[in-house]
Amino acid sequence: MAEERESEPRELAAEARNRVRFEEEALELSDQVYRVARRLVSSREEAEDLVQETYSRAFRSWQSYTPGTNMRAWLLRILTNLNIDRGRRLQRQPEPQPLEEGDYFLYNRMEQTAGGGTDVERIDDRLSQDDIVGALSAVPHDFRDVIVLVDIGDFTYADAAQILDIPIGTVMSRLHRGRRILKRELAEKVGES
Amino acid sequence: MGGFGECSCDHCEEIMQPYLDRELTPEEYAEAEAHLAGCAYCGKRYSFEAELRVYVKTACREEMSPELKAKLVALRLPEA
Repeated sequence: MAEERESEPRELAAEARNRVRFEEEALELSDQVYRVARRLVSSREEAEDLVQETYSRAFRSWQSYTPGTNMRAWLLRILTNLNIDRGRRLQRQPEPQPLEEGDYFLYNRMEQTAGGGTDVERIDDRLSQDDIVGALSAVPHDFRDVIVLVDIGDFTYADAAQILDIPIGTVMSRLHRGRRILKRELAEKVGES
Repeated sequence: MGGFGECSCDHCEEIMQPYLDRELTPEEYAEAEAHLAGCAYCGKRYSFEAELRVYVKTACREEMSPELKAKLVALRLPEA
């Protein structure tokens, strides 16, 4: 540990500067970290707790971050691990096998249900923001985590694979299946309205 | 990967995501482009998918509260 090492004052000052730089960089990323966290969990309160826990852990273990690497991915790795641990503690019911349809399913449904004069392509006329958020939260965790990281958080497949500690091929297959599950959920909302 | 034979629209549906994610080989990509150029059915569905992705991203955006931001700043370690 750093504290046990006998350090010259100059070394200590350099370390303090590095730490401050780390903290500032991490805080600058907090908006982006929150946006991802908010969609990984179901409530604002949960997201706020998770982000606080993440930052508290990150500030304590800042020395395990390698400067020059992707700090946003590093923070999200801490966050998803905390989230997974929390999920295990809550011992959720095993998730039902999600229903899946083809990639054209949502568009076809919108076309079938479009009233006269409604433009099928106007997504925002047919699906509200709440519809989208509701449909996403209905997607099972394994799939949703990947959609949130890649499609909302703009992470590359490689980053998502590292964050979730799964192979890149799994990221791709979960993303493709997850988007289909999401569209099937959205198709139900189109049917409701 | 099979060519665009009799059920080319089914095949197009199958490769829509890898196409939009630029995961196809250059040959597959060129084949898909050729089909899309002449098929309004698939063309509409491809552009819908692209718009949907943008819409999902904007619809899911929720900003953190200033209170949370202040709490994070307060978590910084004390000066040594």
